[in-house]
Amino acid sequence: MRRSERSRRAAARHDDGAGDDRILLVRSLQLVLVVVFLAGWQFLPQIESLSDRFRFVDPIYVSSPTKVWDELYYQFVGNDSGGGEMWSFMWPTVWASIIGLGTGIVAGLVIGLVLAESRLANRVFRPFLIAMNAVPRIALVPVFIIAFGPSLRGTAAVSFAVVFFVAFFNAYEGGSSVQTEVLQNARLLGASRLQVLGRVRLPYAVAWTFASLPLSVTFAVISVVTAEVLIGARGLGRMLLISMQTGAASLTFAVTIILSLLGLAGVALAEVTRARLLHWWRP
Amino acid sequence: MARSRLGRRTEATEATEATEATGTVETNGTNGTNGEGQRSDPQDSTGPREGDVQLALRDVSYVYRTGTEALRSLDLTVNVGRTIAVAGPSGCGKSTLLAILAGLMQPTSGRVARQLDPRGSRHEVAMVFQKDTLLPWLTVEAQVGFHAKLHRRSRSAETKEWVASLLELGGLTEFAGAFPYELSGGMRRRLAFLVAVAPLPRVLLLDEPFSSLDEPTRLAIHQDVFDITRRYGITTVLVTHDLAEAASLSDEVVILTRRPATVASHHEVPFGDRRDLLALRQQRDFLDLYATLWRELSVQLEVRPRAATPERGADDAAI
Repeated sequence: MRRSERSRRAAARHDDGAGDDRILLVRSLQLVLVVVFLAGWQFLPQIESLSDRFRFVDPIYVSSPTKVWDELYYQFVGNDSGGGEMWSFMWPTVWASIIGLGTGIVAGLVIGLVLAESRLANRVFRPFLIAMNAVPRIALVPVFIIAFGPSLRGTAAVSFAVVFFVAFFNAYEGGSSVQTEVLQNARLLGASRLQVLGRVRLPYAVAWTFASLPLSVTFAVISVVTAEVLIGARGLGRMLLISMQTGAASLTFAVTIILSLLGLAGVALAEVTRARLLHWWRP
Repeated sequence: MARSRLGRRTEATEATEATEATGTVETNGTNGTNGEGQRSDPQDSTGPREGDVQLALRDVSYVYRTGTEALRSLDLTVNVGRTIAVAGPSGCGKSTLLAILAGLMQPTSGRVARQLDPRGSRHEVAMVFQKDTLLPWLTVEAQVGFHAKLHRRSRSAETKEWVASLLELGGLTEFAGAFPYELSGGMRRRLAFLVAVAPLPRVLLLDEPFSSLDEPTRLAIHQDVFDITRRYGITTVLVTHDLAEAASLSDEVVILTRRPATVASHHEVPFGDRRDLLALRQQRDFLDLYATLWRELSVQLEVRPRAATPERGADDAAI
């Protein structure tokens, strides 16, 4: 019996690698798609008969890949006439996102867990939390700014307010998803209420919260940038404001690309964390 | 917290010397969480001894808040070290019975006496549920050591040795480092059983633990369950649908009536403490006992006129 068990596990592992024979085809088609897109972006606006008639191919509005690249180079590295300031705009956004994400997840996890554990607390607080979740947080940006100042603390607070609810609802669901029998079993094995909370409910709550980590990361970045655009706090959001006020399409695209890459990196990091931490989890 | 446990441990040791810790406990939940000294001799001097009554239900009834009467005036006695199998029609209240024995539920009326020796050296009650209660983030080894971990003893060499010996007995040594999702259904049930046995409970309650398994897997587990419970003198109550399982593993079989359940008949199982379950199944007296049990149970399965309850249809369909 044991041997067949082993071979079954081995077989399952092998199946995971199956279907990879077409990966080359998929990747080359994707590459072709990117090249065609970039070429179109670069060369279509140079055809005057097109750009005269359609605004969306006017080089003033759509810029071009080479111009965006030049802009990125200028903003990050700079030249004799200046530039090289992008780093000092990027870090506040990154830090505010990380701080909002971290505090939001921890707070959401703790409160979600408490409400999952205590029926009384749940009945008392849940309606308020649902009502608070319905409030558009972006509309509350002025309040956060008054409270925390038009700075990194303010933007981090906005992303906290967004991430907190994602984490809270997931932690609550996770903490409540534990089956009665599992709790009874832990109690019969001698676990105190606190131990049941820490050793049984908490891992479930963490699992559910981390399952939503990629979503939380995206939300954190979006909310920080939105707050920065609204209040002009130092960050990529302000960079966008500047590009809007000066009509610099290349800068807009440059910032957009940086934001996308930041988002991608964050999500990838979140996915890796989740996969390593929750390898045991089959929802 | 660790300190207070340490204090209790000393107390328990003193009680052991005084041999006075034993006493009948009227259930009011399972709040005593001692479970010290897992590897004590099963024949320790403090606890209830062989031949003593370990669990007794007297005139126990249970009515759910919905008005469904699960148990009516039920009497049951389980002596120390014995294994009792409880069989009965589907939905007749067997799980309710176990929950009351476990102290998870209080009967609506009647008396529950559990002689558990809460200050003694062994854990009181453990249970294997029908549903999967494994914690998916713990390896097989950590899972079996879960009870020890609750008492911060998981890293002691003694605990490790005990867990390893249990895994050996349960045939899971090779999978000590595996996670539940890497195990087959049969192995998960083996593991659930070992988790319950790990604190060396005086009483083990089994709620149809193997009903989801195919026959060959079930038979293989039966032998290990039988050997382990006998080896450590664990008083066992097994709720099952499977009469062959009941006759294989137990010393007594109790057949319950349809809901509201009470004891319909009681049968001694005279096959002793050493059994080869595969061989046993071919023996004449085993087959006779099986036939008797089946006859008794089938009486309870027959549809006979009685006050109709809304749930009745579902009940009848289940067997």
